[in-house]
Amino acid sequence: MRVDVRALGACNRLAEQGAKQAAGALSDLTGTDLAVEVTGASVASGQDLAESFAGRESIGVSVGLRGGLDGEAVLAFDAVNADALLSLLPGGQSMERSAVTEVGNIALGGFLDGWANYLGKAIDMSPPRYFEADGAAVLPDGALAGDGVFLFESRLDATTTDLDFSIYMLPDSGPFRDLIVGKTAPAAAAGDAPGAAANDGTTSTAVPYESLSTFSSLAKEGSANAADNIAMMTGLETSVDVSRLRFVPLADVPAEVGTEPHAGTVFELQGQPSGYLAILFEESSAAAVADAMLPMEPDEPLGDMAENALCELGNVMTSGFIDGWANVLGTTITHSPPEFVHDIGASTISPLVAKLSERQDYGFVIDTAIRTEGIQARCDVYALPDERELARALDRLSEP
Amino acid sequence: MTRSLSDDRPDDPADRTGSDAVADAEPAAVTGGPSADDRGRIKVGVGELAVTSEDATLTTSGLGSCVAVALVDDRAGVRGLLHAMLPAGEGRTTAASRPAKYVDTGVDTLIAAIDDAGGDPRRLEARVAGGAEMLDLTDAVGPRNVERVGEVLDAAGVPIVASDVGDTVGRTVRFGPDGRLVVRAADGFERAI
Repeated sequence: MRVDVRALGACNRLAEQGAKQAAGALSDLTGTDLAVEVTGASVASGQDLAESFAGRESIGVSVGLRGGLDGEAVLAFDAVNADALLSLLPGGQSMERSAVTEVGNIALGGFLDGWANYLGKAIDMSPPRYFEADGAAVLPDGALAGDGVFLFESRLDATTTDLDFSIYMLPDSGPFRDLIVGKTAPAAAAGDAPGAAANDGTTSTAVPYESLSTFSSLAKEGSANAADNIAMMTGLETSVDVSRLRFVPLADVPAEVGTEPHAGTVFELQGQPSGYLAILFEESSAAAVADAMLPMEPDEPLGDMAENALCELGNVMTSGFIDGWANVLGTTITHSPPEFVHDIGASTISPLVAKLSERQDYGFVIDTAIRTEGIQARCDVYALPDERELARALDRLSEP
Repeated sequence: MTRSLSDDRPDDPADRTGSDAVADAEPAAVTGGPSADDRGRIKVGVGELAVTSEDATLTTSGLGSCVAVALVDDRAGVRGLLHAMLPAGEGRTTAASRPAKYVDTGVDTLIAAIDDAGGDPRRLEARVAGGAEMLDLTDAVGPRNVERVGEVLDAAGVPIVASDVGDTVGRTVRFGPDGRLVVRAADGFERAI
């Protein structure tokens, strides 16, 4: 199967529109304000998914889909947020199951409207099923089988309360696959249809699905290398919390990084693919990690000494990260010297996103969270490869 | 339950009326409209714009090299805010691009949306923030954004009455009913322009 990158973009947009409708429906129902923070399609093997969901408990609702789409859609809340959710719902705690079921039904209905409209076919939803699930059991049936799946995930954020939740949909059935490989002719005359995109004079890029799945696993190895390098330089034990390859609207990336102050390093990557890599710590984490690397406590928490330490750390992490890519892609990738950054996280990453956005609206983003044991520190690595160059390299990978 | 085939796409900006508290003011093919909350705060994301003719405060956060353009027609009480990422979309916009991604198409779309909401493009005043040179790695995308804002507003006959641009600092802005743009820098320093 070859995945059409533009078709994937169009699907992502549908998921985003659907998530906005779901957020609107929930806002009306709960009287709280919800905004869609990010919608992406993640590419992961069943095993990787199982690991990334380990230890998470969810409550939510699933519905079966027939008609325009076959499969299953799931709306899930982190169980730790369940009380916050219930306090907002009519009936509250006493109505736990039915209240959550009703919320899920309304939100998923809103989510699917856009897809039905786009496909020009009605989508039948089976009655909603309430569930409580450990780990990856929350995901739609079939997510953990096979070598890899696309999982559309939207994260919604309540602006005034702690109430994030996710919507997952798994394109493992025929019609959904056809959408992603660009086979489905646009039902709506809208300009964002995959078929219409070729009219703007650019050619569409198709990526072999198997290569994407392979690359996703390798990105994970790169993350493990980067984490090991932190351990080596700081003496702190590290673990990779999350590592995922996702396809997202680039404009959403700054919001995902957030408005908290961050410190860290950014790099330009040269080779196949080129792109950017950002290693960002929240301020307290940056100070703690720098402190662990320095022989004595620095005069200021994030002064020159800390800056040097973080640059040195960034260098070895980046090498660890991209060596894995280069090995598997059979290409050479080099990186620029580190540039130290210390500012609002979203502001720091915005010029990188802007540069890539000159050529593309959507991009593959590898995001990785690395946590250290002993001291509370966490860093996020964002790798932003050029879409066309990555697609070309992946294409070569699939050649015999 | 069957999901219907109703048209759920955003309205065409031309259909909007001045009484709308929120006008994401983007053509039908564009998603990513801002969201409002009940305290009258409208968040404008990267590559988005919003217009209000009511008391809502328009906000956008995490401006780095991106630029925020705030336009107001005081007499009509109509305000709009754009968060653009790149200078020029001419000839480069695709069906998938948001017009608000670019300064030139974004400013034009914003002025049209303000017009639709009951504002008069001839009475507009502009306030501009952002366009920092955050990184040496990326070739002056911030300053190029600011320069383009000047050109596009000049061509549209909209005067820039105040700006807080350039430097190497991230910014967050709020555009309230008084027509002032409150700019908060990463170090917490805040000023109204």
